[in-house]
Amino acid sequence: MAGTAVLGRLTTGWQVAEAVDVVEETPRVRTVVLSAPGWPGHRAGQHLDVRLTAPDGYQAQRSYSIASPPGEPPAITVEWLEDGEVSPYLVGELRAGDRIEIRGPIGGWFVWEPALGGPLILVGGGSGVVPLMAMARLRAAERSDVPARLLLSSRSWEDVIYRDELAALADGPDGLEVVHTLTRSQPEGWSGYARRVDESLLREVAWPAEARAQAFVCGPTAFVETVASGLVALGYPPERVKTERFGATG
Amino acid sequence: MSFFTRGFEGRRRDDAPEGRVPPGQYLTEGFPVLSAGPTPRTPLEQWTFTVEGGAEPARWTWDEFQALPRESVTVDIHCVTRWSKLDTVWEGVSVDTLLEAVDHDAAYVLAFCDGGYTTNLPLEDVTDGKAWVAFGYDGEPLDPEHGGPARLLVPHLYFWKSAKWVRGLRLLDDDEPGFWESNGYHLRGDPWREQRYWGD
Amino acid sequence: MTARTEELRLDGNALGGALLELLGPEGTATVGTCGSCGARGELALLVVYVRCPGIVGRCPVCDEVLVRVVEGPDRTWVTLAGLRTLELPRT
Repeated sequence: MAGTAVLGRLTTGWQVAEAVDVVEETPRVRTVVLSAPGWPGHRAGQHLDVRLTAPDGYQAQRSYSIASPPGEPPAITVEWLEDGEVSPYLVGELRAGDRIEIRGPIGGWFVWEPALGGPLILVGGGSGVVPLMAMARLRAAERSDVPARLLLSSRSWEDVIYRDELAALADGPDGLEVVHTLTRSQPEGWSGYARRVDESLLREVAWPAEARAQAFVCGPTAFVETVASGLVALGYPPERVKTERFGATG
Repeated sequence: MSFFTRGFEGRRRDDAPEGRVPPGQYLTEGFPVLSAGPTPRTPLEQWTFTVEGGAEPARWTWDEFQALPRESVTVDIHCVTRWSKLDTVWEGVSVDTLLEAVDHDAAYVLAFCDGGYTTNLPLEDVTDGKAWVAFGYDGEPLDPEHGGPARLLVPHLYFWKSAKWVRGLRLLDDDEPGFWESNGYHLRGDPWREQRYWGD
Repeated sequence: MTARTEELRLDGNALGGALLELLGPEGTATVGTCGSCGARGELALLVVYVRCPGIVGRCPVCDEVLVRVVEGPDRTWVTLAGLRTLELPRT
């Protein structure tokens, strides 16, 4: 649903959502499925803002990418950040039935649906995989045959978010191609990539420039910028490399 | 709408010493870095501090500035984003010292900085020992991320007034809202009266 | 422990929530022209600093401040003075 606001006030603003389900993805990462009566639907790649209010009126607000594909209730996948304000609550305290305020969906540029074509190269750093997962889930739900590859950088095999579901998405014809790199520790017998994403890794994994692929890169700022400039160095036109930077504070 | 999130307590405030933490603030051990732009990197050989708007401008090079009488002060600082830090130790030149070099009858100042940031203050908020241009923090030269080589330090007001990378003061007859004061933040910013936004 | 300034630098996607009521859910697709250098692009491409204490969006080419947003308790203040023109795509 496209925005139709001009310089007027929309009624889109904060609304109360109920956590209807929580899913522990990894020891530090959790998905919260939300129910919000006013939710207008969303596109893959969009995010929503969460606002928490303490009894003394203190408020903290952060943005989280939507993990669920269009058509499903909004779900966010949150990584617990040390020293975070909001993530420790969402990952450690919140339980099904709790209510939080949300605002969204937000985003008109870092979005994809099959009609926008491909091939796609999705590159995620840690929890940067979240909006890319919404895209991958949408692609699977619509049985799209747009060629798509996901390169996911994680600290260790235990830290890979959506690990099993990604393996399932990779199965079958027109499956998502999934490439992992594990930067801090690797399981016994690991034969995959074991370093931070750099230009040479991208050269091996990303579509060649001639494929005219659309890239979506998401994660911490330093990661995104290294990958984006790496793709441009490989010949990707800058306008075909879309980026979303996460903050380091949660 | 008074909506509270079950189980969310925000930052802890019970360990605050009596009367030291303004309303709505919480204590921090760290020193959060907040920035509206990239960290400027003016080489010291090019750095100058100017007080303009008086009869004649006064300007100091870095070496001249370092030769001015300096003070070490221990102050509490309060950021409008809710964190407060007690007993921070700074070294710098009192703004009183700088204003003595200029003949003026201004009522307001506008601090201007590398990177374009500005903030406005009434003269009485930067005089009589209330403000410094600080170049040392915690016994070390002020880190660029925290405003080095020098920043304005006005601890009795919210910390957005303590402009990082300050390069001078412009003396004015009328108050001229600075970067944030022209976009919602309070013209004066007294944390004890919780003057965060316009209309507070 | 202090967060390095690098990690506080985001992109225009981070402006979308604060400008939601002004530009709608897809506001980051709004195209702006920098009043200083003339560069033109989606607001999603701005270099954005958050909680500083407000939100600042800068031109990715010349670094000029294009957008300032402060969310107060009952209103949001927005300065778009650095932008010369906004283009709102129609779907």
